[in-house]
Amino acid sequence: MALIEIKNLHVSVQGKDILKGISLTINAGEVHAIMGPNGTGKSTLSNVIAGREGYEVTQGSVSFDGQDLLAMPPDARARAGVFLAFQYPVEIPGVSTSAFLKTAINAKRRTEGKPEIDAMEFLKLVKAKNKALGIPDDMIKRPLNVGFSGGEKKRAEVLQMTLLEPRFAVLDETDSGLDIDALKIVSDGVNALRGPTRAFLVITHYQRLLNYIVPDYVHVMAGGRIVKSGGKELAYELEAEGYTKYLAAA
Amino acid sequence: MRLTSLLDHPFRDAYAAKFGALPGATQAWIDGLRQTARGILNTSGLPGPRVEAWKFTGLGDVVKIPFLPSSSAEDIDVREIPLGVPHIPGARRIVLVNGVLSAELSDAVNDPPGLRIGTLKHYLAREPQILKPILGGLASSGSYPMAALNTAYMSDGLVILADKNFPGSTLHIISIGAAGADPVAFHPRHIITLAAGAQLNVIETHIGLPGQSYLSNPLTEISVGENATLKRYVMVAEDNDAFHLSTAAVALAAHGTFEAFHLVVGGGKVRQEVAVAMNGAGATCRINGLYALTGKQHHDLTTVIDHAVGHGTSSQLVKGVVDGQSHGVFQGRIHVAKDAQKTDARQLHKALFLSKGPEVDCKPELEIFADDVQCAHGAATGEMDPNHLFYLMARGIDADTARAMLVSGFLEDAIATISDELVRAAFSDLVQSWLKRRAA
Repeated sequence: MALIEIKNLHVSVQGKDILKGISLTINAGEVHAIMGPNGTGKSTLSNVIAGREGYEVTQGSVSFDGQDLLAMPPDARARAGVFLAFQYPVEIPGVSTSAFLKTAINAKRRTEGKPEIDAMEFLKLVKAKNKALGIPDDMIKRPLNVGFSGGEKKRAEVLQMTLLEPRFAVLDETDSGLDIDALKIVSDGVNALRGPTRAFLVITHYQRLLNYIVPDYVHVMAGGRIVKSGGKELAYELEAEGYTKYLAAA
Repeated sequence: MRLTSLLDHPFRDAYAAKFGALPGATQAWIDGLRQTARGILNTSGLPGPRVEAWKFTGLGDVVKIPFLPSSSAEDIDVREIPLGVPHIPGARRIVLVNGVLSAELSDAVNDPPGLRIGTLKHYLAREPQILKPILGGLASSGSYPMAALNTAYMSDGLVILADKNFPGSTLHIISIGAAGADPVAFHPRHIITLAAGAQLNVIETHIGLPGQSYLSNPLTEISVGENATLKRYVMVAEDNDAFHLSTAAVALAAHGTFEAFHLVVGGGKVRQEVAVAMNGAGATCRINGLYALTGKQHHDLTTVIDHAVGHGTSSQLVKGVVDGQSHGVFQGRIHVAKDAQKTDARQLHKALFLSKGPEVDCKPELEIFADDVQCAHGAATGEMDPNHLFYLMARGIDADTARAMLVSGFLEDAIATISDELVRAAFSDLVQSWLKRRAA
């Protein structure tokens, strides 16, 4: 069965139609990439999946593991296993990264009927994951994302994803603002999570990221629609030819 | 500018009978200070709404209450320190009941070498020569309306003198307001003087017992010597029917440091005025704070920082959360004199609305007469940022928990400016209990 099924999704923002009939089926174990020019609705799609306010679904549906995702509040979606790696993670002064991570992990564990993680276990777990992502241990003592560099913010997003072990993760322009070293670290973090029970939707403007996170399917989005789908080779074609012909078609 | 008159009020008559009994009444210089103060009160009264500095904090309700003077701890029997007073490990507790020292409730310890602590009464009676050059020197009755009221009726207070290079100590002054059958007012006068190189931490807790209304009107004159450091952390958790109108006048000598934090979690009407004269080059002043208001509480923090000479640094971060029908006020004036080059002055006030009912007024005033300075001020008031809320919820945290985390974070961000670790922890606990009370 499909893990995520998007059917004829139409979304408007402040009365303006942004998504004009997106249909996409992603099975467990698959990595899909959506590429497209700026302003075409890629981030709208990720926000609608995660449940951000301000987006009006005028038609269509999104189901996750058979449940109506759009009927769930954002926190319930996350606890059910949906994760959005933000393009622009917000800085929240006064909230420590560690307290935030622990609260998020325990919210999920309670939903799953598991006992809450204690402080020692939590530290041990985070330290192990930090090491793989090249995150200094003292970063989690700092206020959430405050003063983090662009690369640190993206690594912190991947750390959160690693700790929360979602079943479906959307990566929204995770490559933006990353140098090649950071890109590699972030990609390794994502690749480590790939597996038969988990699916990814990687949203990007550039083909570069897909050299590191190699997708099973690539979709081209333009004008609020998916205008072409193919295998990973489609990404190379786009890199060589640009989006112009799709823009004209949209 | 006689706009509201205190002295047409029973308040005055109740006090008149006490004049002769006030400490120092037989000494001409003290009597002179009091006469001047009373003269000012007679002509000006208490500030009304048309006095610019008081336009957000009206005293109309104060002058309607027939306060009686409370001049002795024996007026009311307080046998224990109330719950809600923070525990500061290692701090020496000095307890005042209605502005008068309670030896019974205070820690019985000797002053360490280099530090002298006594009551105003004691110094006026035994060593007036020490007070004569200090008292009224920083806070004259003409400068601050509440100073006039304090000076006219001050009956006791604490005198804290740290000698040169005194290595440091932590005092916790606990002020308990307690009215008996009638509303009472008290006007404690405190002196804190640090000689060159001295270090001192002073925590003040202002707390009240439920009952009749009381008016606490403390005035503190603070002098920080060259290279000396005073950290003054003030916590106000007065009773909801109480008035707290405090004034602190601070003078900083060269390379002196004054760090203040004002935490306000209780009180009916609270106004704290802090004026700092940065008289010596290279001085540092930090006045940070936070207020958390519910119901009909009113809080006003008014600061005046005067960069009189160059190379001084001042910073202020004041945050507030407001709920119910409460009213928060922050007024911050920064004056940089013509010769105060290389001044670095920063000020930021942020208020978070937890509901639609409260009001917040912010009035920053920068008066800069020097040209080679860095000055910045900012103010932001608003509701919780929906992007912050969404971020937390997108990680599986439910809406109520996420909101509580964000309010807590908003406040903890201010608490983080407290450099003393033990006070930071204690004040953080107070904020967390405030949040729990609100959630309950």
